[in-house]
Amino acid sequence: MVTITNLVKRYGSLVALDHLNLEIEEGEIYGLLGPNGSGKTTAINCMLAILKYDKGNIRIMGREMSPDCYEVKKNIGVVMQNVAVFEQLSVWENVDYFCGLYVKDKKRRHELVEEAIQFVGLEDYRRMRPKKLSGGLLRRLNIACGIAHKPKLLIMDEPTVAVDPQSRNKILEGILELNRQGTTIIYTSHYMEEVEQICTKIAIMDHGRVLAIGTKEELKSMIKTGETITIEAAALSEEQLADLRGFPHVFQLTYEEQVLKLRLSGAKHNLVRILHYLEEQNVTFGRVFSELPTLNDVFLEITGKELRD
Amino acid sequence: MGMLHLMKYQFLHTVRERANMFWAFAFPIILGSLFYVSFGNGDMGEDMEALRTAVVEETEDSAGKENFLAFLEELDGDVLETEQMEEKEALAKLKADEIDGIFYAGREPELTVAKSEMEQNILKALLDTYQRNAEVMQTAGEKHPEAMGAAADALREWERTTKEVSVGGRTLDPGISYFFALIAYAALSGIYLGIQSCCDSQPNLSALGARRCITPTHKLKLILCSFVVLFFIQFINVMVLTGVVRFLFHMDLGGNVAGIILINLLGSMIGVSVGILLGSISHLQMGMKIGFGVFFTLFTAFLAGLMFGNMKNLIEQRCPIINRINPAAVLSDSYYCMAVYNDTSRMTRNLLILAVMCAVCVGASFFVIRRERYDSI
Repeated sequence: MVTITNLVKRYGSLVALDHLNLEIEEGEIYGLLGPNGSGKTTAINCMLAILKYDKGNIRIMGREMSPDCYEVKKNIGVVMQNVAVFEQLSVWENVDYFCGLYVKDKKRRHELVEEAIQFVGLEDYRRMRPKKLSGGLLRRLNIACGIAHKPKLLIMDEPTVAVDPQSRNKILEGILELNRQGTTIIYTSHYMEEVEQICTKIAIMDHGRVLAIGTKEELKSMIKTGETITIEAAALSEEQLADLRGFPHVFQLTYEEQVLKLRLSGAKHNLVRILHYLEEQNVTFGRVFSELPTLNDVFLEITGKELRD
Repeated sequence: MGMLHLMKYQFLHTVRERANMFWAFAFPIILGSLFYVSFGNGDMGEDMEALRTAVVEETEDSAGKENFLAFLEELDGDVLETEQMEEKEALAKLKADEIDGIFYAGREPELTVAKSEMEQNILKALLDTYQRNAEVMQTAGEKHPEAMGAAADALREWERTTKEVSVGGRTLDPGISYFFALIAYAALSGIYLGIQSCCDSQPNLSALGARRCITPTHKLKLILCSFVVLFFIQFINVMVLTGVVRFLFHMDLGGNVAGIILINLLGSMIGVSVGILLGSISHLQMGMKIGFGVFFTLFTAFLAGLMFGNMKNLIEQRCPIINRINPAAVLSDSYYCMAVYNDTSRMTRNLLILAVMCAVCVGASFFVIRRERYDSI
């Protein structure tokens, strides 16, 4: 569906995209995961032929993408990072306007507009102007404008930024439903939970480069971390910390503000052994967490920094 | 996709955008109202009050004295309100501002005034006129003494029957030039609508622009639909202003309704086209474009006489090419041609100039943005 080959984009001396390569298959929900400034939006804008790039090639649906590639554009829907609607038009009018840029038949268009409004749950706000909508509802309107014409390829650039949890869940459920209906989706986010929840394939990006690509299981299997144990423990001595470092499978230990954090390679019964040791040492401990590796762990191991740094 | 669909929504979101509609529609009407109030509430098109003037006769009799008194008598009641009095009394009245000036009727007529305002300038102009005529009569008397009587009669007849009219046969009203410039300014205010519309289509200026850019609708179609709708809205704006000027402010714009419509059509087009061209220059930010729009409309209107009525004439004497390429001056001149000079060929030339300017602006803006990709968004 989308093939990006050796894409290079520079802003002066800053390399925003550094030989980016992506292959997105039909039917996928393809996640571009990376911190702010990693090049996700730049990649999207290059794909849509609105941003110049220095080198590389972008093909969508078998055709090289250019500003006047109208046949390809007919099948693309976009939900921009910033809300892109007319302040002076109502919810219904906005969706109708954008749908009308793709669908000529008036009757069919009105059906699609109604479907899109119901899909994002804005039935009760049809006549309202955007400035009267809350942030979450505005985002939903933004999505409705991008999906009303039922595109084959939907590009969503951080659609859930500054959205309340209720709206976020509604949006994510909607994306899964669209995918079930056959839409290929490119989804950029710096929220790893969202990407984990909905994406069938993920590319982790930083500094304009793809660091790793795969399903979430494949990505997690690439790293050493099998389990992360976090324990609130009071006054651990240096000897006790040294003992814990020596435990089997422990490859990283931090102790800050009375929170002990251990990273362990995959194995069973790690938590039981550690808690048993703390009891023997008469160490008072509070809350205990054991987590399986997340995409943040993947990012951390690859780049040495947290995804949200 | 359907052009009607694009036009419908372009119309709706343009007329609902209050800030732009204020500058394009309401502001020129407010400005016109201020002109109307400051120029004296509807007296602009009517006759002036007669100037209060004292006439002091010198004791010595002479032909010059008699002729000058006869000249003043001709003007009395219409232009002047004369009263004969002693010099002392006249000077006291002049000091008390009860009269505008004193004419001394003697061998050589003289004028004494206490101020230098419009009334005094008119009195001075009357005296100059008399002196010029007297000189002509004197020359004629020396060369053809037998024809003196007939010449004097002819001069008196000319004074009685002649008033200042244009070559087109219509009355020249000094205030009308401001209103022509105002209508030209209003027409050019369509620049704000054009700028806004173009910015809504540019990815580097708005998210809305980015979204519209990635749709399959051809750029030319987007620009043309915007242009047609904005032009229509601006035409209505200018026609409303013209109606206000004609019927509320009672300014005589001439009876050529078709001419008014034609000039307003071209005026609306040029305002919107310049706005679209300015809006399509991607390297300028929105604030700069609006700032340039304000400068453009006010400066061109200034050159066309919006702030200083005689400016266009001064430019015509020193650098006429500016009046040919300044759209506000061309528009204002078109009104003059229609309402005052009745000069159809000059009006046609002006309208052609405006039409060419529109075509150049819209064509250039299309070529600028049709395949444009941006360095940064």
